[in-house]
Amino acid sequence: MDKDLIIALARAAGLDKAVADFPDDVFAAAQQAFGNAGAIHVPTDPADEPWPPMRAGAGL
Amino acid sequence: MTELHWLTAAEATRAFAARKLSPVELLRALLARIEQLDPKLNVFIHLDADAALDAARAAEREIAAGHVRGPLHGVPVGIKDIIDVAGLPTTCHSKILLDNLKTADAVAVSKLRQAGAVILGKLSTHEFALSGPSFDLPFPPARNPWNPAHHPGGSSSGSGAGVCAGLFPLALGSDTGGSVRNPASSCGIVGVKPTYGLVSRRGVFPLSFTLDHVGPLTRTVADSALLLDAIAGHDPADPGSAPSTARHFGRDLMRGVRDLRVGFVRHFHETDMPANPEVTAALEDAARVLQAEGAELRNVTLPTLNEFAAVNRVILGAEAFSIHAPWLRARPGDYGQLTRRRLLAGAFFSAGDYVGAQRRRAQMIAGVNEAFRDFDVLICASSLDPASRLDDPVETARTYPRQARTPFNVTGHPAMAMMSGLSDAGLPLSVQFVGRYFEEATVLRVAAAYERGTEWHKRRPPIG
Repeated sequence: MDKDLIIALARAAGLDKAVADFPDDVFAAAQQAFGNAGAIHVPTDPADEPWPPMRAGAGL
Repeated sequence: MTELHWLTAAEATRAFAARKLSPVELLRALLARIEQLDPKLNVFIHLDADAALDAARAAEREIAAGHVRGPLHGVPVGIKDIIDVAGLPTTCHSKILLDNLKTADAVAVSKLRQAGAVILGKLSTHEFALSGPSFDLPFPPARNPWNPAHHPGGSSSGSGAGVCAGLFPLALGSDTGGSVRNPASSCGIVGVKPTYGLVSRRGVFPLSFTLDHVGPLTRTVADSALLLDAIAGHDPADPGSAPSTARHFGRDLMRGVRDLRVGFVRHFHETDMPANPEVTAALEDAARVLQAEGAELRNVTLPTLNEFAAVNRVILGAEAFSIHAPWLRARPGDYGQLTRRRLLAGAFFSAGDYVGAQRRRAQMIAGVNEAFRDFDVLICASSLDPASRLDDPVETARTYPRQARTPFNVTGHPAMAMMSGLSDAGLPLSVQFVGRYFEEATVLRVAAAYERGTEWHKRRPPIG
């Protein structure tokens, strides 16, 4: 993964201080995230809804 | 009588009722043991002996007057330090919240007080119930009573180590990716993650809103049922709370398992993440015990452990980041390194990643529910290795994710871990039982039959 892209994403999330003080942690975190997200077989059927669903009731 | 520090809650309350023991006598014995062993085990972040003594004296007066509140009246309980106790700080084992004094009890703690339990204090955890054992935090990590050079599992580390070492018979923990069942597995005790929403999380510092559970750690199955009875119940102020009326979780403990249909999720430990051979042998032994007791055992297939873990990590990472982002931006240096790395990962998940993980989760839930059309309960691995040494971060990092607990945080089914053997090195091995939603009584029924069929729950760690 492109380090410049990781830094740009971290800065977009407001993590400038972490980028400056803990760059190795930022890169390690990005690798973790990309690895996990890529390991999921996301449903392709648009009708599949996430859990928990919205339920009408108290507060909604 | 058994040494006081090894009394279960059920045994203690029977002794109270028979006037053979008083809550103050029991508490004093436990305080002496805590004074002796806690310097070696680092179980407590905050021991509140004075408040506990006041509560024990009050319980003693009430019991003597015939006002017995229930089966936990006068019994000491330890509380993981992400769960609020009025008058004490909830530090989450972190520099970030060192001064986070709480003025109200979490709902689960409030229910324990109503039941007459004696709140002992706050227990070690991994920082914010995440990551792993660390030495760069304001408090040292808890240690395993079976071998203090090894970690006791986590994140409910102090809860597991303290129950195991006989510092208290009961503890509360939390479980987002296995954090009640991991210390239960590493310490050779009983840990129950109830159905999602069965126990209120109000007053518990959140890690991941849709994965967090609160549950009991005890030395026996019967005590887990008693503790769960005390803390379960609908709470309209917890958005995840279920309007369940499930109660009396110990009602079937003596029914045995004859004709129960048990699904063995062998692929978790055989092919998804091949287990340590000692773990595998102990699991096979556990399955044989249930068969010998009359259960019908067949293999069952669920989604893979690796994908369950990925779904858990994406959801947990995104939800935890939404909680911690302000601190990560302003004070990243105030987290321990392990926690900082885990939390920062949340910045790199897209909205699509999070929603995709939740959609896949729905399919996984459907898959596990489908399995429960053919089975009453599932048996599978919990930890795939014995606990690693605390001074070996590489081995800890290798073994920590090798576990089969996250599937049931993802799906919300009730799951419990308990001891299934001892490794050649003298460290506990474990087995996990899983049930249908709100059928904790069936899970505990199976666990009780397994407990009766083995001697593991009678083994004590070689400490003190």
